[in-house]
Amino acid sequence: MATSFKTFNDQDSVVTRNLLHEAIPITGTIVSGTYCNKTGGEFNIKTYSHGMFQSVYDYPYLSSSANHIFDLTAGYSSKATPLSKSSAANYNMQPKKINIYNEMAQVLVGFDETNTLRQFDADGDFTGGVKMKACYFFNFTRLLSKDEIKKGSFSLVLGLGKGYNTGSYRQRITITDGSGSTSYKVNSPAGEYGILRASGSGNTAFTNPDPLTGSNPKVGLIYYQAGIAVITASVFVSGGLPGRSPFANPSANRKTMLQVSPALTGLGAGPHFSPAVLTGSSINVNCNALRHRINNISFNNTTELNSSVYFCRVNNTDFNYSGNPTYLSSSKLVVKNNANDLPVTYVTTVGLYSGDNELLAVAKLSEPLKKDPTTEFTLRVRLDY
Amino acid sequence: MGFLDNSGDIILDAVLTDLGRKRLAEGNGSFKVSKYALADDEIDYALYDKNNASGSAYYDINILQTPVLEAFTNNMSSMKSRLLSIARKDLLYLPVVKIFNDDASTLNSQFSQYLVLVDETTVNALKSSGGNTLVAGQLNGDIPQQGSKMIRVDQGLDTLELSANSVISQDLLETQYYIQMDNRLGFIASPTTNANTNSSLSFTPTTIDDDNIATYIFTLNDDSDVVTRIPEGDASSIRGPRGTKVSLKIGSSLDAKTSSFLFTQLGTAGTTAITGEGSLTLAAGTYKFIDTTVRISGVSTGYTLDIPIRLVKKN
Repeated sequence: MATSFKTFNDQDSVVTRNLLHEAIPITGTIVSGTYCNKTGGEFNIKTYSHGMFQSVYDYPYLSSSANHIFDLTAGYSSKATPLSKSSAANYNMQPKKINIYNEMAQVLVGFDETNTLRQFDADGDFTGGVKMKACYFFNFTRLLSKDEIKKGSFSLVLGLGKGYNTGSYRQRITITDGSGSTSYKVNSPAGEYGILRASGSGNTAFTNPDPLTGSNPKVGLIYYQAGIAVITASVFVSGGLPGRSPFANPSANRKTMLQVSPALTGLGAGPHFSPAVLTGSSINVNCNALRHRINNISFNNTTELNSSVYFCRVNNTDFNYSGNPTYLSSSKLVVKNNANDLPVTYVTTVGLYSGDNELLAVAKLSEPLKKDPTTEFTLRVRLDY
Repeated sequence: MGFLDNSGDIILDAVLTDLGRKRLAEGNGSFKVSKYALADDEIDYALYDKNNASGSAYYDINILQTPVLEAFTNNMSSMKSRLLSIARKDLLYLPVVKIFNDDASTLNSQFSQYLVLVDETTVNALKSSGGNTLVAGQLNGDIPQQGSKMIRVDQGLDTLELSANSVISQDLLETQYYIQMDNRLGFIASPTTNANTNSSLSFTPTTIDDDNIATYIFTLNDDSDVVTRIPEGDASSIRGPRGTKVSLKIGSSLDAKTSSFLFTQLGTAGTTAITGEGSLTLAAGTYKFIDTTVRISGVSTGYTLDIPIRLVKKN
């Protein structure tokens, strides 16, 4: 009996799970300066009328070629007191900054046993320790982070030099989750996260290791599945201890790290420094200031690939004839001169069918594969989900 | 010492067809891969030079250089010519499926395809009043049981090198066929008329895919009368040993019959007058038509024939 289908048995398929990783390098020039006009407008940065975050694209965002790569925002806890401003009138967008902080904390940190919102904790131990009350948030798009950021692969290089226009990168810190692959935390409602630590040379704030703790200072958290990096605002406070609020005791010595151009702050003559910018400038200005300090971001993403592999075992007696209209001339096989010649066919396509012969998936060979009664082979057809 | 040939194990990446994605999305277990088939859609076996003077290594050199296309995701566009497994290695002939060109089932000579007249107005424009006779190749899609015109294809070994009186080998006898057509346009109807109801039996598709392609399955000696043996001594388009024949009529869908929407969307205004019975004609510009195909495939032998159909509707 002729047949054109072959049924799989139980041993002919297997389900596999693979993790695919891609390296994602984001150079600082893409996030600031590459797509500028002469008045400083940045075409790859999308801002919104609500002013609660800004979106960074890898190309002018009005182009259909542009890819959304991450969002930036900033916020602080309502418990972040005393603030650096003496009058509430000097706070710019304070409710929205608190909203941002609370929203991120609600999603990433969750609530305690009394349903009180937790704050970001520098070491992930909610029972005590330093809370990060003012933070910058890097929300990486799903396009980049895919299923999750690979643990232990995140790196963010920030310039901490005083000058906004010059010398920003003379002092740099590298923020990494170096121990993330082995010591990540699992007490977040948003999945696993790691502790970000800073190291840097020629930097008075972040010597390596920190003379106070004996280890690299903790400066943030990286939520792997959520694709969100939380950086404490205190990284820009000179001499600030890890995780400490930049608003606390803002002596002149400790607020010189994020010096922002007066033109950008909207605060009038300056320069203005980190705590003042965080409270007195809009979220957008804070994001601009931060973006212009980004030297490099890199990480590996992870895609969880579940595959079904079907073993199409082609035996010597299988598939030696064809229903191709060109296979016959007046019903006679064109590949044979006489009945004793071996039939031959050339495989180009494998079709996977349901029980009622519906074509569900198709796989192609790169070149025709010769099949005759003297050959056998197994085609491994992988179907990814 | 040379390396062992490891080319016996080949890894291929499959893509889901649109139908596969639909079945997967339905989430009701209808996405279950249970069998596979191989195909050679791109191969032109006429390039096989079995008399090449340079030897057998050169017989298929042109075939092996055939570039292979990426996978189509349309389930109707792939796997059109499947490979066959037949235990015998000594077959020199394989069966084909051919249209039987007698007066009742021949293609319309004017357009080289079957014309399906979709509604009463169109039918009446091409047949004399009171009669049921349409000219050859014109099918009554409005009331399929009226008239004797039908589509018939014969299966067998179409060669003069074998006697038409010899019996086709059982492993080459096709006993089951898939028939596929666009479900928006029409349906498959029985070639015979029910004596009790005086109506033509219409069939329910086995499946309808995401592109509205309906698949019917007919088997030899089922109750449909669609698949039957070609009786010994009967006329046939097959010149050698005969197998089975597929006879069917096509009824037009309710949408095609009662609305001009499909003809506006998919159709074309006719530019050639259609000749009907006697001196009747459907003048150019007074009708619209949709060209489609009915695909008939042998389930076991895999041979496929696309039959050209033109649905005609008078304005």
